[in-house]
Amino acid sequence: MASHPFVAMNTIEKSFNGVPVLKKVTLEVEKGEIHALLGENGAGKSTLMNILGGVHQPDNGQIFINGEEVKMADPHVSQAQGISFIHQELNMVGDLRVYENMFLGSEIRNKIGFLNVEEMCRQTREILAELGVTINPKEYVRNLATSYKQLIEISKALLHKSQLIIMDEPTTSLAEHEVSRLFVLMKNLKKSGVSIIYISHKLKEIQEVCDRYTVLRDGQLVKTDVMENENLEVITKLMVGKSISQERYVHGHEFGEVALEVEGLTSAGLFKDINFSVRQGQIVGFTGLAGDGRTELFESLFGYRKKYSGIVKVKGKPVKINHPRKALQAGMGYVPKDRKENAIIKDLSVIHNMSLSSMGNFERLGFIQGKKEQQKFQTYKEALNIKVHNPRITIDKLSGGNQQKVIIAKWLEAETDILIFDNPTQGIDVGAKQEIYQQILMLAEFGKAIIILSSEAPEVMRICHDINVMYHGEITARFTGEEASEEEIMHYATGAKREGEKIG
Amino acid sequence: MANIDAKQYSRESPSMKSRMSWLWSEYSVIIAFVIIYIGASAMNPRFLDMNNQLNILMQVSIIGIIALGMTVVMLSGGIDLSVGSVLALAGVVSVLALNASGSIWIGVLTALLVGSFAGFLNGLMVAKGRIASFIATLGMMAGARSIALYIAEGGSVSGEVSGFTAIANSDFWIFDFPVIIFFVMAVLIYVLMHKTRFGRYVYALGSNEKAAMLSAIRVDRIKIGVYTLIGTLVGIAAVIETSRLNSISSSSSGAQYELDAIAAVIIGGTRMTGGRGKIIGTIFGILILGILNNMMNLMNVSPHLQGFVKGLIIIIAVVFQKRE
Ligand SMILES: Nc1ncnc2c1ncn2[C@@H]1O[C@H](COP(=O)(O)OP(=O)(O)OP(=O)(O)O)[C@@H](O)[C@H]1O
Ligand SMILES: [Mg+2]
Repeated sequence: MASHPFVAMNTIEKSFNGVPVLKKVTLEVEKGEIHALLGENGAGKSTLMNILGGVHQPDNGQIFINGEEVKMADPHVSQAQGISFIHQELNMVGDLRVYENMFLGSEIRNKIGFLNVEEMCRQTREILAELGVTINPKEYVRNLATSYKQLIEISKALLHKSQLIIMDEPTTSLAEHEVSRLFVLMKNLKKSGVSIIYISHKLKEIQEVCDRYTVLRDGQLVKTDVMENENLEVITKLMVGKSISQERYVHGHEFGEVALEVEGLTSAGLFKDINFSVRQGQIVGFTGLAGDGRTELFESLFGYRKKYSGIVKVKGKPVKINHPRKALQAGMGYVPKDRKENAIIKDLSVIHNMSLSSMGNFERLGFIQGKKEQQKFQTYKEALNIKVHNPRITIDKLSGGNQQKVIIAKWLEAETDILIFDNPTQGIDVGAKQEIYQQILMLAEFGKAIIILSSEAPEVMRICHDINVMYHGEITARFTGEEASEEEIMHYATGAKREGEKIG
Repeated sequence: MANIDAKQYSRESPSMKSRMSWLWSEYSVIIAFVIIYIGASAMNPRFLDMNNQLNILMQVSIIGIIALGMTVVMLSGGIDLSVGSVLALAGVVSVLALNASGSIWIGVLTALLVGSFAGFLNGLMVAKGRIASFIATLGMMAGARSIALYIAEGGSVSGEVSGFTAIANSDFWIFDFPVIIFFVMAVLIYVLMHKTRFGRYVYALGSNEKAAMLSAIRVDRIKIGVYTLIGTLVGIAAVIETSRLNSISSSSSGAQYELDAIAAVIIGGTRMTGGRGKIIGTIFGILILGILNNMMNLMNVSPHLQGFVKGLIIIIAVVFQKRE
């Protein structure tokens, strides 16, 4: 008997509203391998996985599990075949507790039919511990940071003893040490014969854990091969059709006036005594691990959180910002992280999401000019290379990375002097990342003050003039882009080192 | 970048099945309307009589005006249970103002003011007090009714100014005045929701409140605006209701109007949790309710059973919504 791959997807085709998204794609995953699925934003990765997971039905093609054809009519069928799916967007119920989310739909009951809460909590604690997380299983999910939500989402998939785990960009909100814990776990799973399909735009991660890779481009299979001794540049080229430089982008230090100045900003339990300033034309980065308080700091600056004290000056003038609208009026824009929760209005069209924060630009005599919105969107579509066939469809139909680009367009359109980007390249492919970096750089050259928050040290090192490292709500170190090294940053981010004179 | 271009797009026409399902999901309420309309014409020849048709329009106009506002409230993710009581209160107070002043304009203005002020209070409770709209407007429902009863000493009040009844009882060409007011309001609300930033913000808020706020939208003000808007529409409905019979009952006027309005909105396809739905849908929803009522009257169905049919229709509508 010939040995079959664990999963074989054969000549899968899929169109949405007549637009082909997958064109005769074939994918084979062996038992006990970690298989990378690569491709640009909108290449069709999530769609292919949604078909394997029973979320969408293919127009054509077959799926074989252990050599037997299976029709994935709905997600339950797929689950019954031993497939777990970690979706690209988080699917947590905020009003439920951690263990309730973990066991949603597969609750453990005792003999007389009551929920066995203790057992569920115990298992939750156990699985989370494997990922190095200690949170109270009875905590409400809405109170948790996103990286924890993502880890819970991963744990949930581990709970079911699956034979194949689909991981669609599982690390977009994770810090580096959390990622490495996940990799250890993945390697262990592999040893016990579990297969993993791993989707990510972080190629370094891919190289570290994956055995083989498959590249999709515009819905077509480009190449499947073993990962070993394959060079990242070659893979990048397969994905985007050109090579991408990994060099530092920014040079030169000619800044204008101070645009934003913060003195002694403090919020109990979140951040403490924050001082920094950003000049026109300067790109300042903030990095750190989960729980470092940087997101909370900038949510406060933007007026989303109100309980803080300290002085904020915009162009030298003290301002009191207690609502995002006030921040916008003061000239601040904020691209939040976690687009599904914080940025996407899923019932509005792509165009309407783009114009939402700057309606004034599209009004005449109080009425919205639909045509103007559309024209403006067209320019962003070209500038940011947003892949969308019909921008009147709701934004949730776009691939994850393209949604992110629309959100960036929305804040570019607001034309503020100060722009804060929180994890701006979350889920964005290598080629588009480059384009977004270039946009940011151009904005800086136009004299905008830019702040970038990122958990990825290499990202801030590449595009920032100055880098602040945060730990437990405090700025523990400050580097210039040139002198920073990943290692040094890690020392300060983990709290292993703190240096008074670094902050000056 | 091998983007799929327009030529390819048009060459591969969507399959019949997906096109049908799109049509159904976008226009199910209109299709349902057409089916019910044809069914009604077949069942009773008197249904198609011009006077009967106009009569249906007249009968739905008051609830229709309220349902327009209810659509906006529900799009924002809320609900307003107080509309019937506020209608009674606005009616009672406006009749008193009318009689005291002798001016029709003052009467009308009073109704609008009472309605919008009650709505404004609802908005304040929901937006600033962070009270669930269901609870806040339930409180207003009880409170407004009680004040109306107190003012009118539990009975009805009648207008004493000649000419006041003309508002609801005159017509223009073949249409009764209330029908025209309903149509004008429908057009205004449509424009408000689709051509102004207020409408855009309401959809955004109903879809994802946190993201709306982080998009620099004054979420609180929009909410207050939404409830004030429905209050004003209730004030307009109160004027028509009062003017029709030249009197308003503090105990029974407006009773259960909230149910009919909510039913029309749901039948019209607006999502209960907000963010999705159309004004057009609500208009057809209210017409469906009107036709069913009319049919039951023509066929001598006991009025006590009519609520049952209405309930059934709402449940069917929601089941269809769920399936999408
Ligand atoms: N439900 C849908 N309706 C219409 N178009 C869709 C739908 N889902 C996906 N698409 C389209 O299919 C294409 C592929 O999307 P998909 O989500 O598979 O991309 P992806 O490779 O996962 O990209 P990313 O890296 O950005 O997540 C996109 O152009 C997207 O707009
Ligand atoms: Mg995807």
